Amino acid sequence: MPAAPRTNRNRLILILIIIICVSMVTLYIRESDDGPLHNVQGFFLDLFSPVGRAFTRVFSPIKDGFVNLVHLPSLSKEKAELEKEVADLRRERLEARGLEAENEELKELLEFSETQAELETVGANIVGQSPDNWQRLMIINKGSSSGIKKYMAVVTEQGLVGRIISVGSRSAVVQLITDSRSGVGARSLRSRETGIVEGRNEETVRFVPMKEDADIKVGDIMETSGLGGTVPPGIAIGRVSQLKKRASGMALFVEVKPFVEFSKLSNVLVIITPEPESVILKEAQ
Amino acid sequence: MSRNRQLFLFIVVTFAFLFQVAVLPQFKLFGVQPDLVLVVAIIVAVQDGPVSGALVGFFGGLLQDLASPQVMGVSALSKALTAFLAGSLKDLFMTYSILLPVLLVFFLSIFELSVHQAVLVVLGQEQLPPFEVGMIVATAFYNTLLGLVVYPLLRRFSFPDKEDSFSVARR
Repeated sequence: MPAAPRTNRNRLILILIIIICVSMVTLYIRESDDGPLHNVQGFFLDLFSPVGRAFTRVFSPIKDGFVNLVHLPSLSKEKAELEKEVADLRRERLEARGLEAENEELKELLEFSETQAELETVGANIVGQSPDNWQRLMIINKGSSSGIKKYMAVVTEQGLVGRIISVGSRSAVVQLITDSRSGVGARSLRSRETGIVEGRNEETVRFVPMKEDADIKVGDIMETSGLGGTVPPGIAIGRVSQLKKRASGMALFVEVKPFVEFSKLSNVLVIITPEPESVILKEAQ
Repeated sequence: MSRNRQLFLFIVVTFAFLFQVAVLPQFKLFGVQPDLVLVVAIIVAVQDGPVSGALVGFFGGLLQDLASPQVMGVSALSKALTAFLAGSLKDLFMTYSILLPVLLVFFLSIFELSVHQAVLVVLGQEQLPPFEVGMIVATAFYNTLLGLVVYPLLRRFSFPDKEDSFSVARR
């Protein structure tokens, strides 16, 4: 094919792709949460859920190997050889150990669930995570068919994980508390100072107190306050790890290290009762 | 493009997407994860031309849009544009060196991340200032490392008889 017509054809295809994408973006923004494109997203998540779970299981040995590699760079050669032997043994027992760990985690979740008698929860597995670095999300394998609704809180025995922001019939998307768009009403367990815990797309979150001179100290435990109506009060969030006094008029900078180790999560609980106030209000309308 | 090649690219991009969502989030270095779908789209663009790259970028980006509750079409658009640019830039150079795709992966990763974020800002989905330069550069480096693995793999599957400077240097 001559060069000039081929170039024209290439441009035409690119323009067509741009038009399709811009149309999708426009439709998506203009439609409600029940619109066709949102429903397609929900349907796709349901479709992806079992495949993602299978993929996660298949590649878990590689993941474990990578984690070891990243976290053990400073070891001596002799120690590395010993660890290699251990890793080989681990690999052989990986499946059995994986099942054992999952069983243990489920037991802990059950114990946590029993201690929170007034909360009704649904257990779910994590089958995927956000595909880019702009968001901190997780995909779980339970959805509206298990009673899960938008804005419901997601927890583990360690504390608050996040809340549901999108629901399919057999899957849902959890926005972690570390996501930069996340904001949860919180308070200090010691001083009862209230504020908001905001995500920063980092491993830690930031507590923004209501008062400029709030009584907050390093080591304080932060828990949910229940304000905002989406997350029940009294769920542990994390511990204050850093405190920076700002100039007058500026908010106090309080860094909080979450109790939940997000990189190690495989099972979570979704609190389905009491329902978030925002869900009740929406249903009443 | 032959039907076999189309099927091959479909399988590759689907696999890349599944790997991206289910496995790569566990492989974070300095808090960032690589974007395998983008790396594949750029390398396909280098090997098969801008249109093939753009279609792979569009399809892979669309899968990513579907798997996260962000505005649908943004990843598809930014990845299609980036891959098309990669294919067009590659035509300017007559080389089989692995350096070209690797450099393209690095610079075009920065381009794609910037376009993606800029579109979200224009749509009011992201607050200013959104550009985390450290994160963008770290992701571009990580993508480049991934490119060093993916390029020879894809090339081996695509053109098993040809050898590039990378495979020659390894012998």
